[in-house]
Amino acid sequence: MPITAKPQAALFIAGHGSTENPDSSAPYFEHADEIRKRGLFAEVNCIFWKEEPSFREAWYLTDCEEIYVVPDFISEGYFTQDVIPRELELTGPTTTVRGKTFHYCAPVGVHPSMTQLLLRRAKEVAPDVDPTQTTLIIVGHGTNLNPNSTKAIKDQCELLRQQTEIPYAAVLDTYMEEQPFIADWHTLAETLNVVVVPFFISDGLHSFQDIPVLLGFESEVGAAASQREVFRHNPHDLHGRKLYYSSAIGTERLIADVILDQIHDFDQLHSNNANDTH
Amino acid sequence: MTRIEKLQQLLDQGFHRIGQIEILRAESIASPPPCAFLLCHEDDIEHVVNASGHPSGFSETCNPFDARDISTYADDGEYRFTKGQINLKRRWVMHLADITALHEAIENFYPSNFSLWLAQQRGILEVQTLRDKLNRQTGMYRFARSISNEGAQKLVQRVCGPAHQCAKKILWQIDADTPLEESEASRFNGIGSGLAEPHAIPLLCREACNHFVAECRKESKKEFEAKAQA
Repeated sequence: MPITAKPQAALFIAGHGSTENPDSSAPYFEHADEIRKRGLFAEVNCIFWKEEPSFREAWYLTDCEEIYVVPDFISEGYFTQDVIPRELELTGPTTTVRGKTFHYCAPVGVHPSMTQLLLRRAKEVAPDVDPTQTTLIIVGHGTNLNPNSTKAIKDQCELLRQQTEIPYAAVLDTYMEEQPFIADWHTLAETLNVVVVPFFISDGLHSFQDIPVLLGFESEVGAAASQREVFRHNPHDLHGRKLYYSSAIGTERLIADVILDQIHDFDQLHSNNANDTH
Repeated sequence: MTRIEKLQQLLDQGFHRIGQIEILRAESIASPPPCAFLLCHEDDIEHVVNASGHPSGFSETCNPFDARDISTYADDGEYRFTKGQINLKRRWVMHLADITALHEAIENFYPSNFSLWLAQQRGILEVQTLRDKLNRQTGMYRFARSISNEGAQKLVQRVCGPAHQCAKKILWQIDADTPLEESEASRFNGIGSGLAEPHAIPLLCREACNHFVAECRKESKKEFEAKAQA
């Protein structure tokens, strides 16, 4: 969905980041570069929980008095509902903090346009498979601490089942730390071909180190994604199946479009709403 | 005054160094490339000037956002988890078209530092105490808050400052009533080059970095185990 240029406004892309894995923040910067090229905002900055600049430093980063914040997170949950609003001092969809107005958008992972990106990624990783003989598995982290953390994946899987563009035999949601477990992929999927797309923003510890072990084609946790070529060895012959494994969906450069979609939706939804000031 | 105007004013006053980055005006170089500014590592100035901005064996870029790639790893391959580390790699040169590009480059080499310095100059920079930082940690890092004040003081002397690869000036205290004890780390002014302001501006640490938080977690665990054994 095209958005109107906002030459007086800044865009802050909020990510998690890591003190140990440089691959973790690479997608955020790529998404920022992509949006910057389109010249829609006066500034596009990335802000982080675990890297520099921190969420708490965001207020100082721009001269703009209007700022859109889009969490480059895969689901609604603790970080998007608690940490980011607390760190940025946001009290509602639009908050004015010491003279600067922040618009807080929904995270990228919950937007319906993610469905097309998932299809595109699945097609890229296994271009020649017959979808009617293929199970598409979307894998997320999952945690018993927050029921919202799996909602985005469940919603996307439902949208993938409903679409008719690529008729996969089955679409399954699986998780690392709650049922249904990704480690059971070979008993959950009933088709010859299985395509697995990690529902994560970055190719960090989970998508390129932990999940390959759970899938069974790596025997131990290995080096960082940038130093390996996991996804280039498709397909993996395991349990009598052809397993295709993709990199994390967040590494898709077109996530930039989803970020802009969230801003468009925010403007549509909140154009007449009140502004909290403090 | 916008931050770009402030940067221009600062340059006019003689500013040319931030962290390990040297800012060269193109007009100060013989036969310069078509740009307004050149950036390089402070130890490579001579190479860049003598080669008119095209030193042999150096990587060249005109994109200010390449600062992130240049500053991600040190020459020995180590991940630079905080950009205040004094192991910025050498043998690159950046040709920047204008002052906007210069601003983008320095804010990417040293994320938000110019903005924080500007806020400090304007008297609006809010500094976060270590306790405030630790009390907001979650997950496995929530245990970091258990560190004693004594443990935190020792950790500053063991982890921070140029002797431990960080060239930022620490602005924070342990809590509102507990300043950092005197040490090389707590005294460091944030300018590793030894230049005076305004020729250089300091790197600022307004909140303990996440590496320090991780170290607090390890230290608090040691303290807990030592108490359990006593």
